[in-house]
Amino acid sequence: MCLAVPGKIVSVEGKRALVDFGGVKREVNISFVKAKAGDYINVHAGFAIQKIPIKEALETLKLSGKINYQKEILGKINQIALKIKRKVYLMEVCGTLTQQIARYGIRNLMPKNVKLITGPGCPVCITPQEDVIAVLNLALSGIPVATYGDAVGLLENSFYGTNLKGKELKIFSVYSLEDALNIKKQFPDLVFFAIGFETTAPMTAHIIKKGLTVFSAHRLFLPAMEVLTKIDNLKIDGFLCPGHVSTITGVKPYRKLKSHLVITGFEVSDILTGIYLLLKQIKEGRKEVENQYSRSVQEEGNFRAYKSIFEVFDVVDSNWRGLGIIPKSGLEIKKKFWQQNAKVKYKKILEKNPSFSFKKTACQCGEVIWGLKSPKDCPLFRKICRPENPVGPCMVSIEGACNVEFRYGK
Amino acid sequence: MANEKDFQKFIELEHGGGGYKSWELIKEIRQILKFKKDWQYLEDDGAVFEKTKIFNKGKIIFTTDGFIVDPIFFPGGDIGKIAVCGTINDLAVMGARPLGISLSIIVEEGFPKSDFKKIISSINKISFEAGVPVVTGDTKVSEKGKIDKIAIITAGIGIAKKIIPNNGVEPGDLIISSGDLGEHGVAILSKRFNYQTKIKSDSKPLNKEIEKVGKYLKACKDPTRGGLSANLVEMAEKSRVKIILEEERLPYKKETIAIAEFLGIDIFSLPSEGRFVAAVSPKNVNKVLKILKKFNKEAKIIGTAKKGRGVFLKTKLSSLRQIEMPRGKLIPRIC
Repeated sequence: MCLAVPGKIVSVEGKRALVDFGGVKREVNISFVKAKAGDYINVHAGFAIQKIPIKEALETLKLSGKINYQKEILGKINQIALKIKRKVYLMEVCGTLTQQIARYGIRNLMPKNVKLITGPGCPVCITPQEDVIAVLNLALSGIPVATYGDAVGLLENSFYGTNLKGKELKIFSVYSLEDALNIKKQFPDLVFFAIGFETTAPMTAHIIKKGLTVFSAHRLFLPAMEVLTKIDNLKIDGFLCPGHVSTITGVKPYRKLKSHLVITGFEVSDILTGIYLLLKQIKEGRKEVENQYSRSVQEEGNFRAYKSIFEVFDVVDSNWRGLGIIPKSGLEIKKKFWQQNAKVKYKKILEKNPSFSFKKTACQCGEVIWGLKSPKDCPLFRKICRPENPVGPCMVSIEGACNVEFRYGK
Repeated sequence: MANEKDFQKFIELEHGGGGYKSWELIKEIRQILKFKKDWQYLEDDGAVFEKTKIFNKGKIIFTTDGFIVDPIFFPGGDIGKIAVCGTINDLAVMGARPLGISLSIIVEEGFPKSDFKKIISSINKISFEAGVPVVTGDTKVSEKGKIDKIAIITAGIGIAKKIIPNNGVEPGDLIISSGDLGEHGVAILSKRFNYQTKIKSDSKPLNKEIEKVGKYLKACKDPTRGGLSANLVEMAEKSRVKIILEEERLPYKKETIAIAEFLGIDIFSLPSEGRFVAAVSPKNVNKVLKILKKFNKEAKIIGTAKKGRGVFLKTKLSSLRQIEMPRGKLIPRIC
């Protein structure tokens, strides 16, 4: 979950800062940015990922309430949509954008010929079954596992789908990797189930260096984005690209993609502006990447953080739920750190056939993730598959397309 | 070897055994719970209410509630305080004047005696402030590990001249909130996830304020577990109306919004332990708010009832989105 609002640093001690988010304070790891008290930072899962210029940070805080400004952009969207004269499909490829669009009812505000489609932005959703099975296998062998909140849902849910019900496994939910280090003090064998894109990978790299054992299911967003722009039967005109992934990668890697792309922030006015910029590109026939979220996303990204990924991980081909193998799209821990690699350390356990089986269902998550089907096309949606009884990962994650459609779709 | 005194610092199985130690513990509890009001025979097997004349003037309301919470002490309160407030408030939102409540405690062996006394003292304090005595109770000790620290079960009895239902909302009514919501949830979550915030639990008894405005309330509920969304969805469904909330008038402080955002929690599901939401007809709304503002200056109108079904949020950009009951895993054990 990405936060729309930057936090203000109250005090700094070494690599830790106390940060104020609208009156609520929390400790944040600032290893990836150069920041001091008084600076504004963007935070993701307990780590600062970018420093935000003070002037722009203050503007964001003010803008979030500026209704007239939002209405003005809406007016522009309506005008340009009229001129386009055909149906336009735009895809948001970011779980937090999906959430925000739903929360603010942005879909209902769009002109009739502009449709917003949800794409593969939720890391929980794209994590393939074999990774879930492997991690469950570890947990069943008595190894304590920690992961981010939504991924706990993924493990537990798979659990309910299998014949594992009633087994007591040690699965911990953490907000930040620092929490995992604390759990490790009590459970030295702890394995962290690492999911997520370029945003969370630097944090995992950082923590591997500190000695935490990790099962990496990290995926790189950009190779998937490239595939998305080339899927033949996916009728998408333009893409709203993720603000926090891009904060790490920068704009540069997007430049080779041939499509209408806008990197977008998470405030209502950010999202509306992103949509407007996409429509404008489509109207003018320009295929390029534009950066709406320049207060956080720089041309080179957060180089310190981005670089650290490749110090610890090798880039490998990897499987994505619903799509299959995408070349050079996954991150595997380098040999040098094999002692921290759960896949090497617990090879024997992972090679064993799992003692459980998954039920086959009519779940359509694989196609829903990639925007090839809408949640409503799934025969299970709303009938059997509900947030309180999720069948597939798109209903498990609060950022998943089915979960969001269920909660806000009516 | 630990000496006698050390043992006395913790609750032991014997404290629930019915023998001398139980008797001693109950005596200690009674010494703290001094507020008795209109009840007698307080040291017997049941309490006796002798002012039976008042029963001719109204209907008897009876309620029960159970409390487990983690952590048991949090900014602005503890499990004892919310047990008393929760029970009083269940009666109050029905339009009842609470007369007395019962208190059963199940406590884990090894629970610190000082914490136990702190909880009982907090119960006494809030019961005195609300004017509602704890008149009967029970204490049991559970073997270590079989219960998580402490659980409290209460019952409450009250009398009402006029029942305030939860299904009396009519199209045209205004929906009000007695103050900002969700702050009990924030207090618990901030403690559990290591956030620092000035926000404290909003737990407090509501009987006095509802007594003042009760006759104007057409429907009333307190948004505890499930928060505002669960309250309003139930009210709208049972009253067969549509309720529209306005984003610009939402009753949440910026800290509450920030923490909900931070943890990815639906703000409408955050619980309060000392607030109510109610439906009032437009002609009475100014009167009601004027009185309520004396108790909490954040009391305000948050929405309107219309013909139709469901609960909707009208965003600042005038788009509508439906608000549903919280689904899936609720935040575990925060009230």
